[in-house]
Amino acid sequence: MTEGPLIVQSDKTLLLEVDHEQAEACRRAIAPFAELERSPEHIHTYRVTPLALWNARAAGHDAEQVIDTLLLYSRYAVPHSLLVDIAETISRYGRLELSSSPVHGLVLRTTDVAVLEEVLRSKKIAPLVGARIDPETVAVHASERGQIKQALLRLGWPAEDLAGYVDGEAHAIELDESSWTLRDYQREAAEGFWHGGSGVVVLPCGAGKTMVGAAAMALAQATTLILVTNTVSVHQWRSELLRRTSLTEEEIGEYSGTRKEIRPVTIATYQVMTTKRKGVYAHLDLFDARDWGLIIYDEVHLLPAPIFRFTADIQARRRLGLTATLVREDGHESEVFSLIGPKRYDAPWKDIEAQGWIAPADCVEVRVTLPNHERLSYAVAEPEERYRLAASSQAKTALVESLVRQHPDDHVLVIGQYLDQLADLSEHLDAPLINGATTIKERERLYDAFRSGEVRVLVVSKVANFSIDLPEASVAIQVSGTFGSRQEEAQRLGRVLRPKADGRTAHFYTIVSRDTVDQDFAAHRQRFLAEQGYAYRIVDAEAVLHPPQSPTAGASE
Amino acid sequence: MRRDRPRSLAEDLRRRSDDELGALLRARPDLVNPVPADLSALSSRATTTSSVTRALDHLDRFHLQVCEAVAAAGDPTSHTAIQQGIDADPALVEAALVRLHSLGLLWGDSNDLHLVRGAHDTMGAWPGGLGPACAESRRGVRLYAENPASVAETLTDAPQAVREIVERMVWDSPEGTIARADRPVTIETARSPIEWLLARDLLVARSNDTVVMPREVALALRSGQLVRDVHTQPPALVVKREHDAALVDRTAAGSAYEFLHLVEALLESWSAAPPAVLRSGGLGVRDLARSVMTLNRDIPTAALVLEVAYSTGLIAKNTDTDAVWAPTPAYDVWLARPDAERWTLLALHWLNMTRAPSVVGQQPSGGARTNALSDDAESPIAPEVRRATLGVLRESVPGASVDSDSVLAVAQWRRPRRVSAARLDLCRSMLAEAAIVGLTALGGLSTTGRALIDVDEHELNRADARGDGRISPGRAPVPPEVVASIEGLLPKPVDHVLLQGDLTAVAPGALDAKVARELSSIADIDSTGGATVYRFSEGSIRRGIDAGFSATDIHHFLSTHSTTPVPQALEYLVDDVARRHGSLRVGVASAYIRCDDETLLSTLLSEPKLAALRLTRLAGSVLVSTSPPDFVIERLVDAGLAPAAESMDGAVVVRPRTAFRTPPRPRPPRLTTEPPTPTGALVNAAVKALRAGEQATAARPRAMSHDAAAEAPSTVPRASVGDTVDLIGAALISEEPIWIGYVDSAGVASERVVEPLRFEGGFLTAYDHRSGEVRTFALARITGASAIATVSPTSTKRKKR
Repeated sequence: MTEGPLIVQSDKTLLLEVDHEQAEACRRAIAPFAELERSPEHIHTYRVTPLALWNARAAGHDAEQVIDTLLLYSRYAVPHSLLVDIAETISRYGRLELSSSPVHGLVLRTTDVAVLEEVLRSKKIAPLVGARIDPETVAVHASERGQIKQALLRLGWPAEDLAGYVDGEAHAIELDESSWTLRDYQREAAEGFWHGGSGVVVLPCGAGKTMVGAAAMALAQATTLILVTNTVSVHQWRSELLRRTSLTEEEIGEYSGTRKEIRPVTIATYQVMTTKRKGVYAHLDLFDARDWGLIIYDEVHLLPAPIFRFTADIQARRRLGLTATLVREDGHESEVFSLIGPKRYDAPWKDIEAQGWIAPADCVEVRVTLPNHERLSYAVAEPEERYRLAASSQAKTALVESLVRQHPDDHVLVIGQYLDQLADLSEHLDAPLINGATTIKERERLYDAFRSGEVRVLVVSKVANFSIDLPEASVAIQVSGTFGSRQEEAQRLGRVLRPKADGRTAHFYTIVSRDTVDQDFAAHRQRFLAEQGYAYRIVDAEAVLHPPQSPTAGASE
Repeated sequence: MRRDRPRSLAEDLRRRSDDELGALLRARPDLVNPVPADLSALSSRATTTSSVTRALDHLDRFHLQVCEAVAAAGDPTSHTAIQQGIDADPALVEAALVRLHSLGLLWGDSNDLHLVRGAHDTMGAWPGGLGPACAESRRGVRLYAENPASVAETLTDAPQAVREIVERMVWDSPEGTIARADRPVTIETARSPIEWLLARDLLVARSNDTVVMPREVALALRSGQLVRDVHTQPPALVVKREHDAALVDRTAAGSAYEFLHLVEALLESWSAAPPAVLRSGGLGVRDLARSVMTLNRDIPTAALVLEVAYSTGLIAKNTDTDAVWAPTPAYDVWLARPDAERWTLLALHWLNMTRAPSVVGQQPSGGARTNALSDDAESPIAPEVRRATLGVLRESVPGASVDSDSVLAVAQWRRPRRVSAARLDLCRSMLAEAAIVGLTALGGLSTTGRALIDVDEHELNRADARGDGRISPGRAPVPPEVVASIEGLLPKPVDHVLLQGDLTAVAPGALDAKVARELSSIADIDSTGGATVYRFSEGSIRRGIDAGFSATDIHHFLSTHSTTPVPQALEYLVDDVARRHGSLRVGVASAYIRCDDETLLSTLLSEPKLAALRLTRLAGSVLVSTSPPDFVIERLVDAGLAPAAESMDGAVVVRPRTAFRTPPRPRPPRLTTEPPTPTGALVNAAVKALRAGEQATAARPRAMSHDAAAEAPSTVPRASVGDTVDLIGAALISEEPIWIGYVDSAGVASERVVEPLRFEGGFLTAYDHRSGEVRTFALARITGASAIATVSPTSTKRKKR
């Protein structure tokens, strides 16, 4: 019996012992067919899902390889039923294939007539297909390529897409690596994407996803449409691309609320794409404005529903999704995978941290007890009011002040959900406030002041959740959030993960009201990061307000 | 008078040596059960249809064909004739004949061979599909017999329709039905194909509506073959792929470990919430569905787990009125054993259980769905089918992945008489079950599986017979060679876990049972398999504290059993839950005493006279007692105090002077340890019932069963009504029992021994010895009566009453 690093569980999860000498080799071997689910300190959990198996099959791995890998690394015997199940699942892939026929256009072809009969009988498939050409072939409307792929996936008969991609309008883009170099994992991610055709790259916040986008553009050598979350982010992409590639100002267009430029590389916001005028999406034409060779979706976990629908129609174009946290509380992760493409690259946060590309972080949950009068009003409050009451407790203000005082040399972000709470904090801390009402210009001015050190403490609402590059920030204090959103938590931590010049540890404080829903939501919010290996410490407010001796709570160990 | 050749099977048996007889008895165990008195008795038992059928059932296809050939060859026949009549290696045929002889299915010697009568009967009217010999009655047939080649010559110019009929009748059935079969035909008048054949004596009319193909004609067309399609060897096993035998072993062990987990998971869930026993005895459909959910497997797997646990004695019905299925004490004993032994015990019971999990959930046509654990899932043939099926796999090379259809084909060849659709289904599901239990993997039988089926099939029965059944089934001994073969392949036992920051604990192996039990009381199981993943949550910690763990216990447990440092978040969680646990307290009190003077309350607490009230101080100014308020007030008054009763809303209750009364209460139950004294009538009836058996046998002139009595109702002479009335009257006086013949309302005649008690209005009330009860007989239906003494001389020995 081999003492392998892998333990195969009967629910098809794989437990990988990280400290094992073969762990790295094993991780590489199982990555194609198993999704990383949790990566805490000692044992990482991967899950073998049908989707992952089919993606592995699409990438050229067959059932035998998958099974041999499991048997090779498994510490214990693998149950027969599991192997059978894996082989059966994989064998479902490729019975159907989508291909371009010179005569009939896009067709769905099968090697197993019974399967084709079965899927054609489905109500979901029937409206998407055209005439039956012969027993093994049926025509598909070209525009339904994405829809039919999704529908077939749901039926458990994934189609192999052999119809290929359009090259798009060629446009020369080179990486300009004079002042920087592409990191290994960024190169791997970009190449992984390119070989797969389309897909999603998952990298932690601050790990340089923009660079992966730039590298993908350099591989595509074609006109590119980049979709991002907001205007500030448009500007950041633009300046990054100018710095990192051969692209010039004239080649990059901005397509936002204020400017509507269409250039070889166009950066647009989700917001403008989903703006409705007289009940129709006025700007969806942008997808067809040029013969795009590549479409990049930044923060793909935020992809709004209309974009989902439209993305289904452009399956012939290469699509790259970028995200740090592919968790959606609405559970639509699988739609991202089926429409944009499968996960092509995923790295545990702690791995990137170990390589020094993101700063180590100390996550602390501070529990504060509600004062008696607040406990009473909390007790009698309507259920929908309770979170607001608990989250914006007065008791938190003093705590925030104390924490800010304990980090005199750091740039501090105070992040919250409720505007009156934030306004109150801004006043107490004498720090500027950025919320939805702040103009873009003012935001950028404040961000610049923060970067330069002019402003040390910034109070921000959820507008700063994403894509704001504030390399100097090293302390984040979260006072309230969007209920139990796991990705918001991760994104907020991401704000302080840019590696610091002096290699200092970032601090991430979450202030939570004890014995309230705030505490329950916090527990849920922390799950993603805890699974990524961030061990939260929990301390009582008293310990922060009256620290034993050391001025910084984070350095007490 | 001794002849050279035995004249019967009995004579044949008398000539056999002790060894030969021993071999016969070993091969046909039903012959010694019970041991026959002598060889004639043995011979007559060996020729009964049931015994012969049983012996034939154990023959493979080739031996059966040889048997059929003997039957087809006619009685007597010879070895040479059979060898000539079978298209196979004569040496193999000879060996088969010798074996059939040793089995007692054939008797006589090689030149004078007989098939036992019972065997003949199982072959149908035409063994081998050969019709009757007609050479003596028909000239044409005689000519054919003398010159077999002439049959083919006759048929050379036959029309196509005629050839088709001949082809069908030569092998399949020598008999055909046709109207006016005995019509006179000549070659000239023949119109139809049948007439064509009749006219040439190729068919012969047997009666006015049947025609047969004479044996001579068929044999000529078969070129002397008695049976068709003879295969001396079973079909070959199809090996799909040859794996490394170690891989098969490992994978099977993986399944075995999984199976062990399934049994444990199900029984643990039943420990918490045992499902009800259906009135019909099984497990309800909904409870089965719940088990399916618990195990996250399909119905056949869940049924298999249930049935194996049941057969092993790990679950049983309890005997309460609302019976439930629950784990037995044997389960706990079993749990404490090493994994390898636990699995071996399960596997052994799977192999030998007379239950068919595969029928659970199936709906036999016209019947109700079969419930798990019900009698409908019994299958007496299951053990034999399992062994037969796995026995085929046993012969493949270790590591070979064998096509299951070919396994079935071989199994079918070995026991062709046992083949039925149901049995094939059973075989097929056995193969699937073997994979789940962990005897096979990747289509091959593992080393452990081989060791297991080599275990003597009767070992379990013998263990039961030795009285080992009295020791807990959980402790039953298991064959060490099987345990040894799987021991090294199962996950190693570990006694530690890895604690992680995301509040999970991973036990990277088979966690020590005690540690696992404690851990699962403070954490929820997330996933199982080679390892077990536990997740801590507020709820799980609270459950642990409810179960009696203190925060210190939990901290100690975690730090003792974790090889990694305990995450701060987990420590905090434990403390936090412990801190809040029990901040609200709930208890029982019947009365309270409140008083603003706290000192007074303190004196009450120390007052010995009030000790009976069991006062407890809840707060400075409140005491509670578990005694009712009235009693509390009474005692307080006794102690010289002046309490006032208080109503729910705090007002003082002023009570008129009335006597205390309880609310309406039922009379307390009478609890006695002695049973009630029986009444005289009851004693009389009991004594009569005790005599009943004795009388019914002793009084009869011949030892007669009830059936025999029904066949011979003439024992009691038919008598006139007058004589009957006289006899009954005399019996009433003498208090003697009498025989009566009686025809009941359904017209069924019977005889009874009755003791007349009363006789009036044309009805006799009497104690009936057969049914042991007092009943009324209509005089009109009594066919006759006689005193017992006149029927049976033995009745004088009757004990005097």
